[in-house]
Amino acid sequence: MAGARRTSRPNHYALAQQVLSIALERGLKSGEHLAEKTFAEACGVSRTPIRSAFKILEENDILRWRQEEGYFLNIGSASQAAKALQRMEVAEDSLAHRILSDRAERRIGDVQSVSALVRRYAVSRNSVLNALKVLSKDGIVTQLPGRAWAFQPMVDSPNAIDESFDFRLMAEPQAVLAPGFNIDSNRAGLLRNQMENLLGSNEDRITAAVFQRIDFEFHSLIAEGSGNRFLRGTLLAHHRLRNATHKGGVIPRFRLRQAMIEHLEILDSLERNQLDLAADQMTVHLRRSRIRRPEAANRGIPPLLKGVRT
Amino acid sequence: MTKPPTIAFFPEASFGAALNCVGIAQKLKENGANPVFICHAGFTGIFAEYGFREYHLPQNANNNVGAIEDYWQEFINTHLPHFNLNPLDQLPAYVTPTWEAIVDTAITAEEKLAAILERIDPDAIVLDNVVMFPAIAKARCPWIRIVSCAETEIPDPNVPPYLSGLSPGDDAACKTFKRAYLQHTRPVHRRYNEFRKAHGLPTLPAGIFLETSPTLNLLLSPRSVRFDRKLPLPEDKFVFLEGCVRLESAYELPRFPASDGPLVYMSFGSLGAIDTDLIKRMIDVFATIPARFLVNVGGFLEAYRDIPDNVHLGDWFPQPSVVEQAALFIHHGGNNSFCEALFYGVPSLILPYCWDGHDNAQRAEATGLGHRIDRKDWSNEFLRHKISVLLSDVDMRHRLVEVSRQMNENSGTDKAAHKILDAVQREENLWASTANQ
Repeated sequence: MAGARRTSRPNHYALAQQVLSIALERGLKSGEHLAEKTFAEACGVSRTPIRSAFKILEENDILRWRQEEGYFLNIGSASQAAKALQRMEVAEDSLAHRILSDRAERRIGDVQSVSALVRRYAVSRNSVLNALKVLSKDGIVTQLPGRAWAFQPMVDSPNAIDESFDFRLMAEPQAVLAPGFNIDSNRAGLLRNQMENLLGSNEDRITAAVFQRIDFEFHSLIAEGSGNRFLRGTLLAHHRLRNATHKGGVIPRFRLRQAMIEHLEILDSLERNQLDLAADQMTVHLRRSRIRRPEAANRGIPPLLKGVRT
Repeated sequence: MTKPPTIAFFPEASFGAALNCVGIAQKLKENGANPVFICHAGFTGIFAEYGFREYHLPQNANNNVGAIEDYWQEFINTHLPHFNLNPLDQLPAYVTPTWEAIVDTAITAEEKLAAILERIDPDAIVLDNVVMFPAIAKARCPWIRIVSCAETEIPDPNVPPYLSGLSPGDDAACKTFKRAYLQHTRPVHRRYNEFRKAHGLPTLPAGIFLETSPTLNLLLSPRSVRFDRKLPLPEDKFVFLEGCVRLESAYELPRFPASDGPLVYMSFGSLGAIDTDLIKRMIDVFATIPARFLVNVGGFLEAYRDIPDNVHLGDWFPQPSVVEQAALFIHHGGNNSFCEALFYGVPSLILPYCWDGHDNAQRAEATGLGHRIDRKDWSNEFLRHKISVLLSDVDMRHRLVEVSRQMNENSGTDKAAHKILDAVQREENLWASTANQ
């Protein structure tokens, strides 16, 4: 049931990136075989999309295909993988993605006309309109009366991140407590395996990108399990916005590990149906995660926890 | 089984000192010690994120969020113009008011700090600050000083005055600066000495707010930028760390729409980020240079718009990991920033705005390891030219490779951790032999 509620299936590029991340998280070496079944289970999808994802990875020289044997890893190190992922991102670099990224980086303003975007990206009007349609589906842009489009608030600045945590502290524990909470135990189990594997592995494999993917999946899983349809919808949209516009910054490795342990403890409580406890643990987890570095401090001057009013 | 020694770190409320201590604490932990942190209000959680236990000084009752924001607005309005003054003119305008604020901090923290130290009962205290807290001097354990600033903080007849930015040969200017420094800081120094006397500590000579430790003093300065002292510092009490660069999470470079060219990192420290007009002006120049720029804008991200395709802004960077990947580091001359640039063999372009930034800028120029630019006095063409020169100066690059090699041969964090543990051991032996007599 929870699976059917998912609003968007990952596209094949995203799935290909996920496959590569999992392969590296599991410590697969160059030349080792990738079994379709294993990755279908790990990603929570059927074998057909996994085949398409493998094909994309082969086209990017990340996997090698041997007749009647299947797919084998063709890269050996984390740095090669990072470069390969970057290449794939460029290949995937849809116009919607570029527009969103430029807005998050403050390269373009929060109100845009179609013709300004046509000029900036040197593409057709139709391409821009399609990209805006994609972004509007996730509530990232809305059309204003006339021809302008407005970006909705993003999770792209210290103050916005702070407000995002305020919102999540209100909504995420309530999503667990609302009557009818039901977690997708299959996906929860897969996610648990991924986190346990990571925690048992070398620290270097817990990168910010890997953590961001797992964090997004974990919090989306909780939101999808909520018995309250409005909390569910609002939280899923917010997590998508976070994932798309907030790059996570740099978190010390100790905290990345600690956050994953907190995820596992919340899953433990949910699986034991101790929802009150899970909601409290979620509050603690979010409070710990929101601790912000002071924005400015120096000799004799008190540090600020939020940006200065500008 | 012997209990691991507890080492209490007390860094001042700035990232340079805080993260410098994190680097040493990481090594102490690897060596079986139990490092903990005493932190100023506002730094809650920063050390816990690295896995260390924290003890907190209370927030001043008047320092609620609104009051601090008002303080900052006032600070920016008052002091931003002072950052453009020369070091001599900064003495009455910026340095003296800052000493007043530092002394206030020491007075406010004293009672609670003493209670925290009583509770922790550490085997040693590591102080990374510019002022002494009586509770530390009177604690029942040795205290170790990390000299937070440039080497100029420890005076010597051959070393130019602290905060002056002068070169050693400039005797007349050094004399003038020293006289002015003592004159301007006299009232606050008198107030500080009264505070010390009230807590049973001896007074300090004019201009000095922190004595050297009788046990161990750690200085960051690598040999490539050190002064030729008239009175060499005794090696058993003073240890040069050749920088002290912490381990940070790897930094994954963002994608730039315009992705060609070398990587340049710019950060003026947490306080320097308040000068958004200067940074905006520099970003306009960066847009015309075929390089990629990472710019630390601290808490002021929302003040920026229309960012060029070759510039990426962030409110925080894991600086050592970024400097490691950079071809040029534009900074304010903060001691940690300068040492990190040298550690990774990266040229520095320094725009100092206050304190020992002036001293480090002078050393960078004098030793051929970087250039200095006056904050207010540059044209777009001049900045473009300076960046281009630093990116292509092969001789400077060769010198920096050698400096980096020397610094990497001697891990400052390792050395600091071992020296601290040795000091603790010496103290224990001394205590044991006294007890046996």
